Amino acid sequence: MVTLLRRSLCPVRRLRGRPRPAVDAPLRTASHAGPGLLYPDHIPTSLLQKTLLAAGSAAMALYNPYRHDMVAVLGETTGHRTLKALRDQMRRDPEGAQILQERPRIALSTLDLGKLQSLPEDTFGRQYLRFLDVNRVSPDTRAPTRFVDDEELAYVIQRYREVHDMLHTLLGMPTNILGEIVVKWFEAVQTGLPMCILGALFGPIRLSAQSLQVLVSELIPWAVQSGRRAPCLLNVYYERRWEQPLWALREELGITPPPTDLRGLD
Amino acid sequence: MAALGSPALWSAPGRGWSRARLAGRLPGLGSSWPRGPIGVRLLSQEKPAAETHFGFETVSEQEKGGKVYQVFESVAKKYDVMNDMMSLGIHRLWKDLLLWRMHPLPGTQLLDVAGGTGDIAFRFLKYIQAQYKGKQKKQLRAQQNLSWEEIAQKYQSDEDPLGGSRVMVCDINKEMLKVGKKKAQAQGYKTGLAWVLGDAEELPFDDDKFDVYTIAFGIRNVTHIDRALQEAHRVLKPGGRFLCLEFSQVNNPLISRLYDLYSFQVIPVLGEVIAGDWKSYQYLVESIRKFPPQEDFKEMIEDAGFQKVTYESLTSGIVAIHSGFKL
Repeated sequence: MVTLLRRSLCPVRRLRGRPRPAVDAPLRTASHAGPGLLYPDHIPTSLLQKTLLAAGSAAMALYNPYRHDMVAVLGETTGHRTLKALRDQMRRDPEGAQILQERPRIALSTLDLGKLQSLPEDTFGRQYLRFLDVNRVSPDTRAPTRFVDDEELAYVIQRYREVHDMLHTLLGMPTNILGEIVVKWFEAVQTGLPMCILGALFGPIRLSAQSLQVLVSELIPWAVQSGRRAPCLLNVYYERRWEQPLWALREELGITPPPTDLRGLD
Repeated sequence: MAALGSPALWSAPGRGWSRARLAGRLPGLGSSWPRGPIGVRLLSQEKPAAETHFGFETVSEQEKGGKVYQVFESVAKKYDVMNDMMSLGIHRLWKDLLLWRMHPLPGTQLLDVAGGTGDIAFRFLKYIQAQYKGKQKKQLRAQQNLSWEEIAQKYQSDEDPLGGSRVMVCDINKEMLKVGKKKAQAQGYKTGLAWVLGDAEELPFDDDKFDVYTIAFGIRNVTHIDRALQEAHRVLKPGGRFLCLEFSQVNNPLISRLYDLYSFQVIPVLGEVIAGDWKSYQYLVESIRKFPPQEDFKEMIEDAGFQKVTYESLTSGIVAIHSGFKL
């Protein structure tokens, strides 16, 4: 049983030159990729293309917030250095290293929905399923990584995206714009990804005054505090924690329940 | 790499350019047929699955049609927006120029192939209508002493404003036709317009039916360009004109470099940001590079039986208008 050590801060910025482990993570994806491609959906891009993509996707995401694919593209094109730091960070943690080796994916095909539904009401697994139902989202709507030019980093960002729904569940945030912004603030503190920081800073532009007020006065301080207190949430092997009661998991990770009820806002 | 038998085994008709580009591999037959000691494939009754290009990728000829269909299915809704973005609106000038070269007179029967969203068809109708209005005005000006009743009568005459001109828009892709029909409704084009689902390589029309055949930015997506040209020759009336507006080879090396840079670096990014589709736009720019240059295409048109074939390069050769007559 892996015990999760508490850390005060996710040491995102400390880059240590650590040698690769002797047994590389299974490159099962490389066998299906075409020539020159590192993984099946890989689209190699030049620096100019990445720059244009980053700028274009940022503008489009602001213009049309329903273009989630643009947020994803922004994350992929701007996150290279941060992803490396996150990956090294995962390698240092025992649970994180296991995730990197086993490469679990969260998709409807890999989740045992029947088992999740049969779990008691207060467990993490049941609450996660409830979150998916109430907000009418599915783990399969996440676009695959395309513009990251390193196969392991592509997995790291894919894992970050798939874990996003877990964060919603842990933080108790709905999937409306306000809830997404709060989760972005949390993620920005946790991961340091430029896309999260940009989303956290510019997302509120589209909010109503009332929501903005609640956001700034209560939600952001709470999200930032929780983010700093919690260990790196990419290191949690969520698939092994379905039976854990939600309050226990929250306590373990240092996440307090949300300060206000978000229903009726935005 | 498997050695090819001589190309004569595949009796390429004419100077079928697409055949000359076939890759050297013979998929599916390698293991079952025995090979001679020098690696020459023994004669067989079966024709091997011929290959062609899909952008820079190599695919079988059967696959290409399906893949092109999927590309246009996915780009149909944003087709016009993307055209404006990619060409910075210049595509409108190119299409206008095609109509000016055509200079259709009232009574022209036009067949617009691969005309999905109707750009050429609408311009044709506008041109004819403008001509008719111009003619009306001239007539009235020439007759200075008409009473107001006679003038009102002239305007009320219900002669066909199109003068018998009709345009048939033919496209292989349902989504593109749907977008075109919606546009026609929105812009108020009702008469003189017909929408037909059909394949450029096998047109659902009788011989000798049309006065003008146009294909704008469509022929490079056809799997067998020679067949499309032959079909064009078939459905045109004697004296009919073939007009093709298509991307071609840039003749200026500096502009060519800039154009390549723009095509490969910017256009797929635009496709991703605006339409959420990188791969379709990557295919589009690659397919432009695979299309034969002006002279070669001119020869292909001549092979299909057209005469007086000429071409005009526009915007330093980024596009070219090829014209030929069935005499």
